[in-house]
Amino acid sequence: MALMLLLPGTALAQDGELVPASDLLEEGALFDNVEITVEGELVGDYGFRGDGFMWTQLNGDSYARNALVDGGPRTGANVGIGVRMPSILGEGLPPVGGYRLEGPLVQLTGVWRYHDPDRGGETYLDVSELFIVDEGRRLEEGPDWGVLALGVLLLVTSLVMWGRNRRSPAAE
Amino acid sequence: MLIRPDREDLRIVAFALGRIFTIVAAASLLPLAWAVLGREWHPFASFLLMIGVFAFLGQLGLRYRPSKERLDWSHGMVVVALTWLAVPAIGSIPLIFSGHYGGPVDAMFDAMSGLTTTGLALVQDLDHIAPSLNFWRHLLHFLGGQGIVIAALVLFAGGGGLTLYYGEARDERILPSVRSTARFIWTVAFVHLVAGVAVLGVIAHQVLGFEWKRSFFHALMIFFAAFDTGGFAPQSTSLGYYHSGIFEFTTTVLMVAGAMSFGLHYALWRGPRRVLFKNLETRTILATVTFTMVLTMVGLGVAGIYTSVQGLTRQGFFQIISAHSGTGFSTLPASELAMWGGLAFGGMTIAMALGGMASSTAGGIKALRIGLTVKAITNQTKQLLLPEGAIVSTRYVQSGRKRLTPQLAQSAMTVALLYVALYLLGAGVALGYGYGFQEALFESVSAGANVGLSVGVAGPSMPMLLKLTYMLQMWAGRLEFVAAFALLGFVYAWVKGK
Repeated sequence: MALMLLLPGTALAQDGELVPASDLLEEGALFDNVEITVEGELVGDYGFRGDGFMWTQLNGDSYARNALVDGGPRTGANVGIGVRMPSILGEGLPPVGGYRLEGPLVQLTGVWRYHDPDRGGETYLDVSELFIVDEGRRLEEGPDWGVLALGVLLLVTSLVMWGRNRRSPAAE
Repeated sequence: MLIRPDREDLRIVAFALGRIFTIVAAASLLPLAWAVLGREWHPFASFLLMIGVFAFLGQLGLRYRPSKERLDWSHGMVVVALTWLAVPAIGSIPLIFSGHYGGPVDAMFDAMSGLTTTGLALVQDLDHIAPSLNFWRHLLHFLGGQGIVIAALVLFAGGGGLTLYYGEARDERILPSVRSTARFIWTVAFVHLVAGVAVLGVIAHQVLGFEWKRSFFHALMIFFAAFDTGGFAPQSTSLGYYHSGIFEFTTTVLMVAGAMSFGLHYALWRGPRRVLFKNLETRTILATVTFTMVLTMVGLGVAGIYTSVQGLTRQGFFQIISAHSGTGFSTLPASELAMWGGLAFGGMTIAMALGGMASSTAGGIKALRIGLTVKAITNQTKQLLLPEGAIVSTRYVQSGRKRLTPQLAQSAMTVALLYVALYLLGAGVALGYGYGFQEALFESVSAGANVGLSVGVAGPSMPMLLKLTYMLQMWAGRLEFVAAFALLGFVYAWVKGK
């Protein structure tokens, strides 16, 4: 499915300028009211509001497809932008990214609203087209057994010490 | 002659630390329970290890019951200073094992930032971190903001409460006993917790359209960070994540409540409210908030950063309240805040440096000290201008009528100067690494005043010495120097004393 969607996705990137999310954070004013395309992972929440729009966050960083849980490298803080789209576009999207969850990798096309006067100076991408490049997946993270064993050992030792401290007249 | 601390001194300190570690071990059961409910077994193991270390050290300390339990001034200060070093160190264990940090120093930086209610963060890929770990980061704000040592005072009777209370930079006793004051502080916190989480949770669900479970998750995290003037946020884009004026406004109310002194909370709850506006600290903070806000708004207006009045007022108002209250939330990315030059930069930096009220969860120089300093200078000037023999009133209102003595004025000015020195220290180190003056000063003030706003200097890739400097600034700034100096004196006496 991902492969099928990738081809139209590439075409879509050619229609509008494909801009990295980091450029939007560094030089947002340059793209004010310009139609652009941004690629990244949807993370956090899907907030469907009463006004017919859905808000979420798009991260254009390396973690979008190289999760730390999956052994991906640490490359610094997230690079996220706010996105708003008509609710109808957001309905039926795959689960949003979060802990042990790779969110959908998407290409979003829309107008970059920098310090939007109609929204109290907020900055966001006003999405008109959405294209799913990859649906994302669930990830696994089991316990670190060595850490667990050490923790249990310390707790048991503490309990023994607590018992002794209670019995000892010189202690509490 | 310098007297070397003896075995009994060490027993007193160890025993008090044992009690505090036991309290923190108990509090740490909350994120452990969160990990169990969320079936987050990797963080679960590291929380268990952290609780094991706290419990073990707690019981180890409690083995050394001293012959006299009463802490004197220096013991209390040393206990507080050590607590605020040890808790972040041990509290960083789950963060270290999470894989979201570049190393133990980065993890301890965040734990220190959390406990001191600063909010600067070195976490990487926050948007994929386990909810239980996010909860722990924010719970550190709550434990630090309300005072972990104060929690110990509520739960354990025993001597030395007063010195521990003052050691945590609480300047005024609201009720006759320290224990009842500590209980009042925690009662205020829990009442705000219930109300704050309920209001934010309902807004998140009804207005922002989040699922109920996620709504209350966000509400709880934002409450901890706002009311304790911390500044961590559950998502990487801070308050900018919510894109909602009403959510920002509710958060602002909580930030203001957090920056108010607990004495003022007491007056609002039980006292005559008219007195509030005669209070020196209230008047001072109203004046400084107005001054810094005008400065920032004019700066933003002149620079033409916002094209609408609505945008300028909403963004400027939120950032200034966040800076002045010492919270550190932002609705803008760090790169954008870095572009606020001139007057806007000046307004923000001054707001951060001044901070909230004394005996609140906020950091910085504090409004009371500013008020006392200004009053002392004004009185001095009046004395010079008036005929010889004329008497200038030295009275001021702060929880009743008080007299501004030369000693009090000197003490307020000394601490204010120490803060300035602390701000310059961090700025100097950053300048040495080649950062620009504006960003070096902004970030240093943010660390020293426990604010947490960033223009991009504080990050995983910053130099190690700068990380350590900011940690020192957060620690010393939060303790308002006294306990930090007491610890240094204790160590010096241990080495050089006889």
